[in-house]
Amino acid sequence: MDSPFERLTLPARLESVRAFHQFVRIGAEAVGLDLADMHKLDLVLEEILVNIARYAYEDGAGEVEVAYSTEAGSLLVEITDQGRSFNPLDAAPPDLALGLADRPIGGLGVLLVKQIVGSLTYRRRDGRNKLSFRFPGPGPIST
Amino acid sequence: MNIEATQLEKAILLKVSGRMDAENAGEFDKACELWISQGCKHLIADLADLQYVSSMGLRSFLAAAQRLKSVSGSLILCGLKGLPRQVFEMTKLDSLFPIYETAQQALAAL
Repeated sequence: MDSPFERLTLPARLESVRAFHQFVRIGAEAVGLDLADMHKLDLVLEEILVNIARYAYEDGAGEVEVAYSTEAGSLLVEITDQGRSFNPLDAAPPDLALGLADRPIGGLGVLLVKQIVGSLTYRRRDGRNKLSFRFPGPGPIST
Repeated sequence: MNIEATQLEKAILLKVSGRMDAENAGEFDKACELWISQGCKHLIADLADLQYVSSMGLRSFLAAAQRLKSVSGSLILCGLKGLPRQVFEMTKLDSLFPIYETAQQALAAL
């Protein structure tokens, strides 16, 4: 049986994010996401892909694959890289109580991903990181 | 993303429209840096036509606000709606910026 997944592999670079957005947009339209949800999906993809582009590969050169399936009326998205082991679910949440002067300017991407999708799953297998989520998901992941 | 700057008596109005993402957030950094280096203390970012902002954009807003605060200035936001408003709320950044409905209201508060 054919795989239900559509797949695209590109260099793990910031410049690839928009191409991945366009790629997944086809699946998003197939399951009938409205524009507001498409923007949220773009945001989740961007945050995960930017993390991979910036931190996954020591020499900055590597690839990332985005795959999606439209089975069961919602999108199942899988993002795979061969970089260093990194589970974003383990990242310490930023301190949102800090004032303007003390607020670190990073660390908000993972928080946004957790807020928007539920059922974010991380697996490390055969030297690969694989993050998967269903969109729309069941709701925010508590932190 | 498009950034349109208008010099007002008390502030610079930056009308930011389109999508602010990892690839282009640096353009906002440069625009803010340009005006701050020229002595501007108050920037008003009109985000009524901003459709999308990611955490890289949030970094830019936060960095500009911190820079302006260090010179006793401020970054004021107006017109926040849709996903950008949700993103500011989810990260609790909405509590760190003065936020107004319109640029006129923001100007009146200066």
